[in-house]
Amino acid sequence: MSASQFQPLPMSSNEPAPAPAASEAPNPIREAIAQAIEEHKVILFMKGTPEAPACGFSARTVAALQSLDTPFAAVDVLPDPRIRQELSAISNWPTIPQLFVGGELLGGCDIVIEMYESGELAQALL
Amino acid sequence: MPSAEDIKQRIEAAIAGAHADVEDYTGGGDHFRATVTAPAFEGLSRIEQHRLVYAVFGSEVGAAIHALALKTQTPSKIQTN
Repeated sequence: MSASQFQPLPMSSNEPAPAPAASEAPNPIREAIAQAIEEHKVILFMKGTPEAPACGFSARTVAALQSLDTPFAAVDVLPDPRIRQELSAISNWPTIPQLFVGGELLGGCDIVIEMYESGELAQALL
Repeated sequence: MPSAEDIKQRIEAAIAGAHADVEDYTGGGDHFRATVTAPAFEGLSRIEQHRLVYAVFGSEVGAAIHALALKTQTPSKIQTN
């Protein structure tokens, strides 16, 4: 639950009001993720690397992309939990992997595989 | 640890008219696969449909619920497979 509305007032009336957008303060990790999504036409956030996926869902998503011979950038979210946290905050998507195409979230493993099987993935990657 | 039945009931309680088939595919109570059919999905993209289901569980997805594999469809588009 959020207690932000019930914080006691500061004792000194000279204190500046708290910045209203404290949660939107500069956030280097979030900015780096947003920039990576913007800079790469196809970018996959995954557990592990394309060569050594650390999760079956990431592995299946990589396999779908590779079978279409799609060049893609890959980011391993495992080295720092904040990557995943900030990524999910940006994408409003709770799980990994996440595939972005043209700056937009295309989907997680289920959607990517469903689109691969229907041929829509190849279209989306054109 | 939720059971497949718990997951099913929570989805069906939260999304009006939803029907969910849920499988605990490791038997461990933390990896589930769900097929959800709901009129509420009509007109939504696949991403938005999945977000609607994920939203039922909030931060539990990715935490206590390690995986919730989803297939979503509208009643008018029930696929046989």
